[in-house]
Amino acid sequence: MSLLDTRERRRASPPPPPVAVRPGLGRRIRAAKWSYLYLAPMAVLLLAFVVYPIFASFGYTFYRWNGIGAPGDYVGLANFRQILHDGIFWGAVGHTFVYAFVLVPVQLLLALALALVLNNPKLKFALFFRTVYFIPVVTSAAVVGVVIQLMLANFGDSAGSLLAKTGVGDGQIDWLGDPHTALAVIIAIGIWHTLGYNLVYFLAGLQTIPAELYEAAKLDGCGPVQSFFRITIPMLRQVGVVIVVLAFIGSFQVFDLVQVLTGGGPYFATEVVNTYIYHLAFGGSAGAAAQPDIGLASAASFLYGLLLIVFSALQVLALRGISRRRTVANQ
Amino acid sequence: MTSSNVSRRGLLRTAALGAGTLALGGGLSACGAGSPSSAADALTYWDWYVTQAPWVDREIELFEKGHSDVSVKKSTQQNAKYADLVALANRSGNPPDVFMIPQVPSVAEQVAKGWLHPLDEWATPQWQSRFPEGTFLEGANVFDGKVYSAPLKGSGPLYQLYIHHGVFKSAGLTNPDGTVKIPRTWDEVTSAAQTITKKSGGKSYGLGFGNADNIGVLAWWLDLFVRGAGAPGGAPTGAGTGMDYRVGKWTYGTDRSYADFLELFVEWKKRGFFHPNSVSLSDEAARAFFERGKFGMTVGGVWNQPEWTQHKFTDYSLVTLPSPTATPKGYYYADPVGNGSFAAVSAKSKKAHEAFQWLDALTSPAAGRRWVQDLNGVSAYPAGNDPTGIDSKPFAAFVGMTRQVLRGPVPLVRNPDLAGVAPGAPKPDISDVVTGIYTGQIKDVQGALSSLADKKFQLLSDAVAAVAKQGKKVSTADYVFADWDPTKPYTTKKKA
Repeated sequence: MSLLDTRERRRASPPPPPVAVRPGLGRRIRAAKWSYLYLAPMAVLLLAFVVYPIFASFGYTFYRWNGIGAPGDYVGLANFRQILHDGIFWGAVGHTFVYAFVLVPVQLLLALALALVLNNPKLKFALFFRTVYFIPVVTSAAVVGVVIQLMLANFGDSAGSLLAKTGVGDGQIDWLGDPHTALAVIIAIGIWHTLGYNLVYFLAGLQTIPAELYEAAKLDGCGPVQSFFRITIPMLRQVGVVIVVLAFIGSFQVFDLVQVLTGGGPYFATEVVNTYIYHLAFGGSAGAAAQPDIGLASAASFLYGLLLIVFSALQVLALRGISRRRTVANQ
Repeated sequence: MTSSNVSRRGLLRTAALGAGTLALGGGLSACGAGSPSSAADALTYWDWYVTQAPWVDREIELFEKGHSDVSVKKSTQQNAKYADLVALANRSGNPPDVFMIPQVPSVAEQVAKGWLHPLDEWATPQWQSRFPEGTFLEGANVFDGKVYSAPLKGSGPLYQLYIHHGVFKSAGLTNPDGTVKIPRTWDEVTSAAQTITKKSGGKSYGLGFGNADNIGVLAWWLDLFVRGAGAPGGAPTGAGTGMDYRVGKWTYGTDRSYADFLELFVEWKKRGFFHPNSVSLSDEAARAFFERGKFGMTVGGVWNQPEWTQHKFTDYSLVTLPSPTATPKGYYYADPVGNGSFAAVSAKSKKAHEAFQWLDALTSPAAGRRWVQDLNGVSAYPAGNDPTGIDSKPFAAFVGMTRQVLRGPVPLVRNPDLAGVAPGAPKPDISDVVTGIYTGQIKDVQGALSSLADKKFQLLSDAVAAVAKQGKKVSTADYVFADWDPTKPYTTKKKA
């Protein structure tokens, strides 16, 4: 290729569009100063109660410390070693992942199905149903836990008897006290409790899809199933990614429901990482007798944080991979 | 590190000031009109007594009548947060004038931190002589020869088997004279549980408990049943307790009583004697279920009784130490260490003299008698523990059971330096292990018990070694009392 050829080509091609010069950081901040002002209280609180404790607690991971007085018993990396060799910790990690990986898909499918029903303009009392499904979300997990625990304590045996009549079990099911059922019951309650969130997100997403697309598809002879897979799902992809990420984040933070319903028992069968950390930090599973160990709790939370970072990185990589494959497939 | 420490302290101080302000506010609102002095002059007093609150309130009333220039502002704190609140209050330099001594940190540590006011100027030998012999013990309530506290409570059997008369009568478990047939041995408990479960047609179960609170309820069962079988350590959940002092070790793995009882316990479950929701019921719900006759027998402490009495439920009996044989091979043993450190005067108190007067009133023989009469427990003064003056039959039975509490070995008497030994608690501890065995999650019972016993001894050895490193003459041998017969009272001799 000669220099002349290049010049000729430049002459022939249209001039490049003018490059927009990005304003400097200071200018951008000044331009959006009100936005930053509104964000400031949240940012300050986040720094004080989330970011600072994360870094502050890292120092405690090197001490054996019951939280009273200044930490003085330096143990180096012993707390990390102890956590890594603790079967209960890994059990708790397993329970947390089971909780998240069962709850999220089931809940999202249910929420999407319900959103599709509630998004139907012909549905009567749609607002009433939306409210009904959202009520559990605004009820605190502690209250939900206490009420359901009382219900199961008083009427759980009736449900067991019903099952026994259908040939399942012997009628003596301790729903939250049996290691075979306790986690499943907590997951079911978790699905019910936070279903409303995802329902609202999906409803919002569905309402952004232009009705013209469905009308055009109908004219082209598409049935409801084809419309769902060819229009609804692709159009919900962006909001769906956000919903999945938020649902996983919420599930990995499960604490209050487990703490109120079972306290992590029986014999750690429902212990999740956050209850495990809580029990280490504020006294163990044997009530007042167990000594709190802030150092161990900090080490456990630090390790769990690392695990979640790895998981999040894998999630991002997976989503990018899927996105790339789709782009290639569409070209 | 330094700067972060300073900021942390600042934060904690602010939090403590807030907590203190709230507590003071609570105390003020709790105080009725007509107090003899203004709120600012009042003595501040903290405890965690909720069911015992009527007794405390009456003591305050009586104290204020006798001391017209002093008033007491009580704050009842949440039990689970009590230790944190006291620590924060001390750190902020604003502790209450008198406070119940928290369980964490140890009394020795609290003295070392300068939280407690020595009572020497008031706790004269004459004052001390009003208490039973052996009350003041170096390492428990005396440190470096200075007295810091005095007892309120005496020792009763920690746990009892409660028997619901209505359920027993419905199942026909009565003597020829119509009285309820009280089970006293393991076999009698099994037989009664079987009869109730069989005859009630699913309405009642023989046995029941509430294990959901993670307060170690299943360890109570183990403790109650194995002591009489000859395992004098029982199964308390405290880090340094539950030891068999004959060998200075935890004998979960070597004493057959533990595995034998747990085998029976699982057998009871398999045969459907337990209320099916027992693991997921709270202890409080289980108390209500027992009251309603949903099961005929449960294990608990004397703290069950005030609530049942309030509900007018008194149709029950209690026994302690159900054993494989008619005669127990072991007993409950008095706790001079735990009982001796009840409340203290704050080292920061500006009204230390008045504060001591209030502590003196709380630990007086008259207050102890009222403690018993209000069904709270037994008094430190044996004279106050007379079952004949008590209206409540079940409570009178409990008070009568103090005869089954023997004096046992006290390692602290032998070597006061052991006060610094603070072993941690293993996880899982005994209550967790019993739960795992009950639910079938632990199959190798003997293995789990042996492993736990080894872990507990290792933790003790580490704690002893840490104190020995400080130059103190302590060893795990200080816990061995080879000449102790668990069926007889034992007087500990001081280390030569």
